[in-house]
Amino acid sequence: MTVLTVTGGKGGTGKTVVAVNLALALSSLTGERVLLVDLDADNPCTYTLLNVEPKTVEEVKSFKPVIDKDACVRCGTCVKHCPTHALFLIPNAGLSFIETLCEGCAMCMYVCPKEAISRGHRLTGWVKEADAGDLHLVLGELRPGDRKYHDVMEAALNYAKRIWGNYRIVVIDTPPGTGKGILMALNSSDIIVAVTEPTSLGLLDLKRLNRLVTPLGKPEIVVVNKYGLPGGAHNKLERYLQECGLRWAKVRYDKRLMSAYIRGKPVIRYDPDAPSALDIQALAEMLAKEMSLNRS
Amino acid sequence: MEIVVASGKGGTGKTFVASNLCVYLKRNLSEEVVAVDADVEAPDLLMALGGSTREVVREEFYGSYIPAIDMSICFNCGRCAEVCEFDAIHMAPEGPVIDYSKCEGLGTCAVVCSVKAITLIEDKTGDIYASETPFGITVVTGDLELGKGNSGRLVYELKERAYRIASEKRVEFRVVDAAPGIGCPVVSSIAGSDLLITVVEPTPQSLKGSLRLLEVAETLGIKTVAIINKYNLNPGFTAEVEKKLGVEVLGYVPYDDAVVKAYTSAVPLLEYSPASKASEALVKCFDRFREGWFR
Repeated sequence: MTVLTVTGGKGGTGKTVVAVNLALALSSLTGERVLLVDLDADNPCTYTLLNVEPKTVEEVKSFKPVIDKDACVRCGTCVKHCPTHALFLIPNAGLSFIETLCEGCAMCMYVCPKEAISRGHRLTGWVKEADAGDLHLVLGELRPGDRKYHDVMEAALNYAKRIWGNYRIVVIDTPPGTGKGILMALNSSDIIVAVTEPTSLGLLDLKRLNRLVTPLGKPEIVVVNKYGLPGGAHNKLERYLQECGLRWAKVRYDKRLMSAYIRGKPVIRYDPDAPSALDIQALAEMLAKEMSLNRS
Repeated sequence: MEIVVASGKGGTGKTFVASNLCVYLKRNLSEEVVAVDADVEAPDLLMALGGSTREVVREEFYGSYIPAIDMSICFNCGRCAEVCEFDAIHMAPEGPVIDYSKCEGLGTCAVVCSVKAITLIEDKTGDIYASETPFGITVVTGDLELGKGNSGRLVYELKERAYRIASEKRVEFRVVDAAPGIGCPVVSSIAGSDLLITVVEPTPQSLKGSLRLLEVAETLGIKTVAIINKYNLNPGFTAEVEKKLGVEVLGYVPYDDAVVKAYTSAVPLLEYSPASKASEALVKCFDRFREGWFR
């Protein structure tokens, strides 16, 4: 089993487009059903591109205090200990709680000398699943208003790990960024696909991402999406890739890809002769070869 | 006034709108503008505003804690492992073992330890720096340590820093360029702001992201307006986007090669190519905002 993680520091470089189309291309090439794991819990878009409606398989919950107003003596111990200032005392009104500030550490429950705080649950998000034909999709989705997206990412990844032994190819799609959630995904991967775009901002964020990726010592392929973008910073980007000795592949800037995307369709199935579809197909062939080399 | 620019999805043009809004405000409404780059996992705003000409602040930010266990005191009672909500402590035969990748640094373990064997050590989670830029805008940037969490706390600190700089200099406007998404750093970016501008592309994916963002803004009680960017990529969908968003749309900005070229030159579009279609459309959006708020 090989886990490919599609990432990229900057938002909107085309991670999801590459992940979905790559997973479909790999499935066609190998005849295998591919597991696609969408960890962009803030806004999971794989299912809109695959036109499926995922079903909830797990609710992601975290601790939230339930305050027994009768038992509470307003001593302020919980307020003093709460590390995120989610609890406070209002004169004449008693103990108040702001859920958006709470990170669910349960400190308040343990420090309360009157046992006036008990365990409640708040819904942070969902792990969902869908059968998308050649792909099996698992995704995490954050409940809007909640901030604990790492919890949802972790729950989705753990759910995927419980079933991914049944697959030979796993493709993970990540959110943008270079933080804790990205590192968690990278640590579970065998091959890293870093998607960038030929713009100054794309290059800046790729450099930053590589400071996280390179020390892991895992095989990495940079995908330069929107290659040929008018006015783009192609020279600077290519110079950087060459200096770092990074392997890279291009996916051409292609109005036909955009036309598939806005219809919510994967270009590789909708318009397989489009330049971008041909490029992703070539990338899939290269990766399939590499994975069989890995197996031998 | 603090204006935050956000979108539920990445790459819709947040930094584009935020950087040019700064230029516009400085030209038309304010001697100075303080900008905040709240995308601490991929900060680009400073570059979009021409880079630093002079750094005025550089500090380390200690936004979290790491528990350290004194094994000479610990008697392996296992209470710390029991109370950890994040499953970050496991009892091994030789005593408790901390998985730092899971630890949130909130310190419940240290508080419950009956022999006080656990101390919390401050953990550096990022850097904060403020720079002056060629177009006269001060940019406060946060740089999260790679692979770290707690980005929301860094964002709060950045906003606080920008507020202080703005108060000292009596600057009226602060512009916050948020991270993509709706998670922890975005909630911190929006909380307490006076106005949210959501940047939407006419795609189902971007619309979905912005609708999720609007739910967050509603729970926080923040007034929201929208700018529809790259509208000509899918003009047929624009009306639907506008209808579904249900908030005031300041205007429509076309896709324009000049935007990419301006970035390549590290000059904000309004300065780089004021006559370009995107520039003119953006100025119209900002004029509408100005008329709505300052007349």
